Amino acid sequence: MARFLPLDVTHVQHDTRDAVVVTLRPREEDAERFGFIQGQYLTFRREFEGEELRRSYSICAGLDEGSLKVGIKRVDGGAFSTWANEALKPGAVLEAMPPMGNFHAPLDEKAGRNYLGFAGGSGITPVLSILKTVLSREPKSRFTLVYANRQMSSIMFREELEDLKNSYLGRLSVIHVLEAEGQEIDLFTGLVDAEKMKSLFRHWVEPETVDMAFICGPEPMMLTIAGSLKDHGLSDEQIKFELFASGQPGRAKHKAVSKTADSGEACEATVTLDGATRTFRMPKSGESLLDAALASNMDAPYACKAGVCSTCRAKVLEGEVEMLTNHALEDYEVRQGYVLTCQCYPLSDKLVVSYDQ
Amino acid sequence: MTDMSIEDYLAHGGKLTSPGNVPPRYRGELLRLMASFVDSELAASAGFAEAINDAAGIKSRIAAARIVLEKADHAERVLNIMAEFGVDTERYEGVHPWAARLERDADIGATRQGGDMRLSVFHYPLQGWIDAVVMNVLQGLAAKVQIAEMAKVSYQPLAEVFRAIAPIETRHAELGAEGLAQIVTSEEGRAAARASLAYWHPRVAAGFGSAHSTRFERLSRMGLRHKTNEALLAEWTAAVDAQLAALSLN
Repeated sequence: MARFLPLDVTHVQHDTRDAVVVTLRPREEDAERFGFIQGQYLTFRREFEGEELRRSYSICAGLDEGSLKVGIKRVDGGAFSTWANEALKPGAVLEAMPPMGNFHAPLDEKAGRNYLGFAGGSGITPVLSILKTVLSREPKSRFTLVYANRQMSSIMFREELEDLKNSYLGRLSVIHVLEAEGQEIDLFTGLVDAEKMKSLFRHWVEPETVDMAFICGPEPMMLTIAGSLKDHGLSDEQIKFELFASGQPGRAKHKAVSKTADSGEACEATVTLDGATRTFRMPKSGESLLDAALASNMDAPYACKAGVCSTCRAKVLEGEVEMLTNHALEDYEVRQGYVLTCQCYPLSDKLVVSYDQ
Repeated sequence: MTDMSIEDYLAHGGKLTSPGNVPPRYRGELLRLMASFVDSELAASAGFAEAINDAAGIKSRIAAARIVLEKADHAERVLNIMAEFGVDTERYEGVHPWAARLERDADIGATRQGGDMRLSVFHYPLQGWIDAVVMNVLQGLAAKVQIAEMAKVSYQPLAEVFRAIAPIETRHAELGAEGLAQIVTSEEGRAAARASLAYWHPRVAAGFGSAHSTRFERLSRMGLRHKTNEALLAEWTAAVDAQLAALSLN
């Protein structure tokens, strides 16, 4: 089971107008658990107005920096990122799970590889961790970074990248692509689209020499880049994606609880699955909500039927259920109304449940 | 950058990378897919364990033991990904009796039994060494086709596991083929192998699911499936035909 551990905030550095780099120190007894692989992320939790929010941010430090750092860019309306940018100070304690994620390629100090990295906006954080690690651990490898931003002032880690270019002379190339500011060469202006990718491969990088490509940024940009990399001969194994914060589900809404009295022996259940809603009657005992939905010809997802695998997870929007066992959902999910439908029996006369939320 | 929904992103071949960015329905289908693989591997490993003692010689014993070991290892690797979604792995390992089998003549088609998501073929018992080898050849070739399909799933951490285990699973099928080549050198062996082929062929074929599956389209929009059941079955049939032709068993 996932476990949250305390991290002391030792430094908060404002990198751009709306991004901070937060340095964290695990407690001595947890230090080993926070050993990380380049490109991994940390998941934080914090309560905002009585509701627990979890947010993942990529580690931006390289393996040889001897510190744990994450970059947090403020997202419009984002409770956690706004708080981190405006109120987080050294001395604070954050709670995070040990590092997770698989956005990396195994290191080989003897290898002379040619890496290509694509980052959009704050998608730079894991790519930065990878490129710093690769440059220090694989002395013969080279890294080309294509880094897309709206404008010059929103480029995260701009100075650090300049410094890295100087320390690793000839081994790191950085191509800045700016959406809103024209530059001398067309390649560097606008969005990273198929045309730009073609011209990148024509003038800057020979696609057949590329060993591995890393992409982290907004979804359309990742699709365009991955498509172009494949057109230029790279295989799935050579392309690593990291989908960043925008893909995280939004803030959970409070569940509406119906106050209708519990009287009869049967319950009227309304279940939504794949956008279709069906209402059926089911007994309050003897048949789980999942089995009742299956019996009504709904193709509800399930696997173990023992409350262990969480395949049958759904959200109760109205009414009350009793969940017999739960070995898969965490407390915060249960508080948000999530249940394991294979273990659920109705307590109220009316129940509204969705597999789509 | 224009906004794009996760659904559109997936429909265009995008990859998801952590439990934090999977939508709810995707989560359910992904876990179902992983549970089916884990249950099948655990059942395969448990079923084959008994075959070790039926093995004809040391080489065969080692081959059988290796299959038992590696299939359990593959189950564990996928279970570790399920753990990131909250699955209690220790409990999961004990949730079904993986070595249990139905009667040899039970007829369950392609249906799952309760919450045990193993492919239906793993509910049938093996009868001795030749039977085990034949089943392993047929199901091994099926696994090769199915794992190649799953290596393309849109959940990147899972696709990576499938890519890593694909060559090992392929090797299992090859070990089976080597064993079968040995078996058919005698006439009794050849006759017994034919009888087992007749028994297992339709049961392994059933594991590819029904033609015109209604779920296929939904799964394919999520990037969890790419080729239809019919196409996968055809690939397997061709592979089996080639294998059996090489041993003059068609």
